[in-house]
Amino acid sequence: MSASIDDPSVFAARAAVHGKQQLAVLLNTARVVLGAIAQRAVFVAAGLVLPALIVLLWWTAAEHRWVPEQLLPAPTLVWQTLRELWASGDLHAHLWFSASRVAWSLLIGGSVGLLLGFGMGLTHTLRAYLYPSFNVVAQFPVLGWVPLLIIFAGIDEALKISAISIAVVVPVTINTLKGIANIPRPLLEVARVYRFSLLQVLWRVVLPAAAPSLFTGLRQAVMQAWLSLVFVELLASSEGIGYLIVWGRQLSQPDLVVAGMVVVGAVGVLLDLALRWLESRLQGWRRGAF
Amino acid sequence: MQRRTLAVALSALALLGLTSLPASAEDKPTVIRISFPGAGTGGRPLQGGSFPSNAHLFKEIDDEFKADGIRIEWKFFPGAGPALNESYANGLTDVAFGHGDLPLIVGRATGLKHKIVLSSGRLGNSYFVVPAGSTAKSVADLKGKRLATFKGTAGQLTLYRWLDKFGFSDKDFRIISLDNDSTKAALATNDIDGANITPFDLQARGIAKSILEIKDDPKITRPGTVWVGEEFEAKYPQIVQRIVTRLVKVAYWSTQEATREKEFQAWATSGSQAYIDYKKDWDSVPDLRTRINPLLDEYYVASLKSSIEETKKFKLIRKDVSIDGWIEPKYLNQALKDLKLEDYWPQYDADGKVKIAARSTLAAN
Repeated sequence: MSASIDDPSVFAARAAVHGKQQLAVLLNTARVVLGAIAQRAVFVAAGLVLPALIVLLWWTAAEHRWVPEQLLPAPTLVWQTLRELWASGDLHAHLWFSASRVAWSLLIGGSVGLLLGFGMGLTHTLRAYLYPSFNVVAQFPVLGWVPLLIIFAGIDEALKISAISIAVVVPVTINTLKGIANIPRPLLEVARVYRFSLLQVLWRVVLPAAAPSLFTGLRQAVMQAWLSLVFVELLASSEGIGYLIVWGRQLSQPDLVVAGMVVVGAVGVLLDLALRWLESRLQGWRRGAF
Repeated sequence: MQRRTLAVALSALALLGLTSLPASAEDKPTVIRISFPGAGTGGRPLQGGSFPSNAHLFKEIDDEFKADGIRIEWKFFPGAGPALNESYANGLTDVAFGHGDLPLIVGRATGLKHKIVLSSGRLGNSYFVVPAGSTAKSVADLKGKRLATFKGTAGQLTLYRWLDKFGFSDKDFRIISLDNDSTKAALATNDIDGANITPFDLQARGIAKSILEIKDDPKITRPGTVWVGEEFEAKYPQIVQRIVTRLVKVAYWSTQEATREKEFQAWATSGSQAYIDYKKDWDSVPDLRTRINPLLDEYYVASLKSSIEETKKFKLIRKDVSIDGWIEPKYLNQALKDLKLEDYWPQYDADGKVKIAARSTLAAN
């Protein structure tokens, strides 16, 4: 993958001195590498076709005023707004508020989810008592919680953090539980033969074996948190990306609305990529643990 | 099968919607779509507090056009002034029976084209209200606390003027956006620390209390606006004249002392303010013409200009707004002339002081 396009020619020049056979091998390698790059490029390009078409349609619709400009902003205006938001520092400020809300919720919701997941996964009794109730509660969407939460938590930060935390608890619990339930029995039996202590079992068997599932849970949780965040910030906020979107609508500045959406999407993709990267790094630790 | 029927029905509806927009080339439309920048409690289709709302509540406009077979479609927006802008941008509104200064200017700044034909009213008291258990005695006591206003509506600028009056800016507080109903609920649960709202009903129920009151200050509140879409105005000038004349007639009726109780009771049906709120709030105006005034006088024009300046100062609009060709007083002047009401209302100067006093009510009767 790391071979650059210039490489074959450089290599080829040297190969001419050393012999034709070597040249043929090198050319072949180059062809394979280039082929892989081309294939990859086609794959990436294929993914870009739809967004490009949508932007084109959007641009045309805005250009020809198919929809009044008060309702549909031109892509160029959205881009300009994004740059202005960035330059004025507003975007950073709003992102920071949103990010801290997500971070707190991940901490609270994630801890509760892990506790529940490990508890129900490790002890059969707890699972018997809790799982049916949890399963029912897990079916409620975050949106459904909000009216009730407003009564108890008010409309301030407590509402936002608790609503997002609830969105986080569910995927973390379920995936932790699944990860533990799916640990191959023989592994635990071997641990028993070696007379591992509980801590040793947790650290050397349960955690590494359940890690992929834990990670799936975390990734789902982060995505859920980010999506719910935008929804709760639509309510009674004075800062955050969701607030930026509402504000744009109140001021008839649809470019601000779309810019907010673009930022939400971009951050979501970045978060997912970062977590995937972290996950692949942790795979190494996992192998070492066994 | 069912889904297909639904699709057919929907497209038929869409077609109807499209075809009803450009009315036939006659000089009268089949329907006039009149919008209010608000709705009653829980979104009920009622508004109170102004003479244009009387025109709806007492079916004045419906009566005016009944004989012509013109239907009046009334629209009410819980999303208030900003939602009215969206409706007009979508081509779903012909006439606005009231619009606060901020959404009016924001709409104009985004390129909405309308003609201001008269004012929906002016002045009024403004209160700074805190939860019943609050210890705050002044605006300064609330610094850094949470205030609520319906952002994007005239109320936002009114709050900013309050803050400015006491030497603060919006940056000194956390200002969240809540509509009227939610503001009352949030005061009850202590979720906000202050708001501008009429307090009497809340006070009677022990929910909140007013700590400061500014009475009929021309610099704190700004006149409301009745406008007609430019296209509608160009196409049906005589219809516009009839709407304006009828509205001025209603305005005249609304200023009669005998109407006072009747209109307060009608306004209270919308639920956004209780009867006691109107009753006490209007106690400070012995002459109803102080607030129920349709004129586009020097004060109106100067107010609009300073609201534009404020809107720019607070960075609520990005394009400049010019008032050239925006105000079209000819319909109002004609109506005042036809109804012999030219000197009925007091005229204010740019500073908000009475320039030409109102005709004595004795002479009017």
